[in-house]
Amino acid sequence: MSYYDVDAILTDAEKIPCTFQLEIPDLGYLDNTPTQPLKAGTKVNLPLWLAEMLVIANTGAADNKTFVTFDLPRALANDVVQALKADPRAVPLRDQSAHFYGLATHMLDLSEEQELGSVLRKTFVTRASEISLHARKVGSVSHKGKGKGEGAAEMGSNLGVGSAGEDFLRGLDEWERSLFRKAHEGAKAGKEWIENIKKN
Amino acid sequence: MPMYGDLGNKLALHAKRTQNLVHLPPYQAELVRAVTREVRDLDKEVAKLLEPFQGSFDPAADQATACTLLVDHLSMRRNKRCLLAYHRTRTDKLEEHVWNGVDVLDLAAQQAGNPNGGGVGAGDGGVASSLSPQEEDYVRQYGDLLAAYKGQWTDIDLTGSLEPPRDLFIDVRVLKDAGEIQTEYGAINLTKNSQFYVRQGDVERLIAQGYLQKLG
Repeated sequence: MSYYDVDAILTDAEKIPCTFQLEIPDLGYLDNTPTQPLKAGTKVNLPLWLAEMLVIANTGAADNKTFVTFDLPRALANDVVQALKADPRAVPLRDQSAHFYGLATHMLDLSEEQELGSVLRKTFVTRASEISLHARKVGSVSHKGKGKGEGAAEMGSNLGVGSAGEDFLRGLDEWERSLFRKAHEGAKAGKEWIENIKKN
Repeated sequence: MPMYGDLGNKLALHAKRTQNLVHLPPYQAELVRAVTREVRDLDKEVAKLLEPFQGSFDPAADQATACTLLVDHLSMRRNKRCLLAYHRTRTDKLEEHVWNGVDVLDLAAQQAGNPNGGGVGAGDGGVASSLSPQEEDYVRQYGDLLAAYKGQWTDIDLTGSLEPPRDLFIDVRVLKDAGEIQTEYGAINLTKNSQFYVRQGDVERLIAQGYLQKLG
């Protein structure tokens, strides 16, 4: 992940729920009340770029308290995790967060949710194979004119995926989308290359 | 309520959009100015917060101030990253154009004439271009660098096509006047809408620059 990576920067803008542990006079604006002090115990949604350091940073006091504590964001709430456990393919990740995996990775860095990590790993693997399947199918649609019998069979199988496939693709997060794009381009380039070989 | 870093995020979104476009959208001069102004404001605030301590600030003794300073610092750092990433995305694109032989400055001027391309950058300082003055300078100097680099090898064109030619000679049509060029077979005067049968190697650059169109 590069410093200049625009996707990483946008991922860092995802917000997570935080709770301030001490009263801070000058930060009222974070809770929409710029004229008043930010009271201890106030819950504020902070972007990752801010929350991450505030969570880690030590106040320097003897009790080793941090400035803020955080909770898992809505995107990684228990019901979402349960749904992912049941069937990773049935959850539109994009509705949870456009940078779902990026957000989750950050959260795993900050917390010790052991189970979450394994659920996410399984989620990605299951969905990745589904993604590559769709990526190949989309490629075959544009080629349906070529090779009569074969084309018809491909079209048939494409109809099989139908609208359910479209729903699935709409629910991909940014990382999965780039995976889809690469799988699609790879399959297309491979096909073009083979056709070129045949021609010459 | 707007927060520090919100404007920087807008720049990041612009950068994201730019990545997926063929041409460079107008430079967000106003936004860039606003983000840098925000950094300056934050810096002033930090100076004001630290002033009473006379250089002997103890974070453990004044945690609230320490936290405010940290938030200010992180906001500045965030803005810096957004600014750098935005400009880097654009210069990457510009370098790509230079390598591909696209006349960026010419293109930018054309785009500015198009009403859809009109953004914050276009209405700026009278110069109708989607590039900032610094970017125009960058393109010019990068082009010079590339030319100097290429000049080391006279028998190979580093920016030439990687496709081996099928025919030595091709038919071309002239899309815009390009003046007279010298070839092994004498001079050709390239006037608009005329057609020629020429050696591909002689006109490759002109095709890439959009002066000529390859036929057949």
